[in-house]
Amino acid sequence: MKHILKLHINGEEYEVLTEIHKTLLEVLREDLGLTGTKRGCDLGTCGACTVLIEGRPYLSCLTLAVDVQGKKILTIEGLEKDGELHPLQKAFAEKGAIQCGFCTPGMILTAKAFLEEQPHPSEGEVKKAIAGNLCRCTGYVKIVEAILSVTDRSSEFGVGSSES
Amino acid sequence: MRLPQFEYVEPKTLKEASKLLASDKGSLLLAGGTDLIVNMKHRVIQPKQVINLKAIPKLAYITEGKDGLRIGTLSILRDIASSPLIKERYPTLGQAVREVGAYAHQSMGTLGGNLCQGNRCRFYNQSAFWRGVRPPCFKTGGKVCYVVPVRPSGGPKSKECHSAYCGDLAPVLIALDAQIKILGPEGERSLPLKKLYTHNGKKPLALKKGEILKEILVPPASGKTLYLKWRLRDSLEFPIISLALHMEKDEKERIKKAKIVFSAVGGGPVEVIEAGKMLKNGLLDEQMIEKVSNQAVKEISPMRTSIHSPAYKRKMAGILLRQALEEISSESLIRSNSTL
Repeated sequence: MKHILKLHINGEEYEVLTEIHKTLLEVLREDLGLTGTKRGCDLGTCGACTVLIEGRPYLSCLTLAVDVQGKKILTIEGLEKDGELHPLQKAFAEKGAIQCGFCTPGMILTAKAFLEEQPHPSEGEVKKAIAGNLCRCTGYVKIVEAILSVTDRSSEFGVGSSES
Repeated sequence: MRLPQFEYVEPKTLKEASKLLASDKGSLLLAGGTDLIVNMKHRVIQPKQVINLKAIPKLAYITEGKDGLRIGTLSILRDIASSPLIKERYPTLGQAVREVGAYAHQSMGTLGGNLCQGNRCRFYNQSAFWRGVRPPCFKTGGKVCYVVPVRPSGGPKSKECHSAYCGDLAPVLIALDAQIKILGPEGERSLPLKKLYTHNGKKPLALKKGEILKEILVPPASGKTLYLKWRLRDSLEFPIISLALHMEKDEKERIKKAKIVFSAVGGGPVEVIEAGKMLKNGLLDEQMIEKVSNQAVKEISPMRTSIHSPAYKRKMAGILLRQALEEISSESLIRSNSTL
């Protein structure tokens, strides 16, 4: 049986007629066409489906859509503002922290949540934070560089700020 | 992978949830979902009804009173790790929480859910397709355990499920003598966290029909607690084997109390009681460390529930315990030197 779910995604209200046993990932991709959120392992191991719920990273493949009604959901599509990319998105593009790009939405959203929790992390802390996001191209060095480049520690690691 | 169909309910009180859980045989509780949803996708469990606890208010809190620390069952793991109270008074608990899964699992998972997580086994934490090549095992409704294979020449068949409990927080909390509060159809009851685990893989939790874990109480901390988790990657993975150690000493460095609890070596968190007794009233010298780690290895009986062999796990158990005891003994050495 289908139900109407009210979801608050990227600052907009959506009413979706869908099955109750659908995960947030399935609703985002199939019912709303928001395909920026990727389906990887679908079992909570790869982090490709990471979205932010109330600012915290959630694996959308392990989250029931019905469970996050009334909560603020942010997907990669909601990160740019007025045509301007988010500093993390810019940093990933500038540092070449993208190979096939499949892990990128999850990486960027995890990094966003982490930097809000801890604005001045060490390199090790960044690595630990993104440990649940797998990059099968193994391009981790540039991803870590890109994340560090938007923090104030950028000078210590010899990487320029994306803001400049 | 699609989820099987189910009815979905969001009770507003814990009592209502308990009633729902007791009324229908095919009901299961949903908290963080990081364990339940995976098992549902794998069709290891197919509940008729999913009871989401997250709409119930006032189940997520961390407070400290005279009788110790109280943590609500729905407290988010990440909140526990970052709580100033935990950081200051129970740093090892905070560290163990940070060892659970990865960042996203910690921001989804709850303490109650972590303690009640399903046992793990390489034969059933698999897709229905993978499992389909064999008849079902005990855990999936069958009458066999593949962890203990029957030899072609015959021999006794295992009568029970040997899956292993692989949680990170239960060993630490048991080492700290934590108590739990359970709400059920007959009201509330308290019991030591250790008693929550039946060590029977088929039904690992000693919860009666309709009972829900409500609160965890950790008595005031003194002494030293350590949690060592052995795994191949430094994140995301379940332990190959892990160890929680709690030790209290008197002014003369004599051990007053010692608790050693392992995870991933049995159907529940395994306390090695004899090894703990050996430490009591003793001094932590090289001879004692050797004796205790040898004893602990004898007291556990890991099975082939993961890709790591029981012999390897047993060896690592001794190594982990030795490492933990050496860390404590070197710390007290530094302390005594600095007071000279």
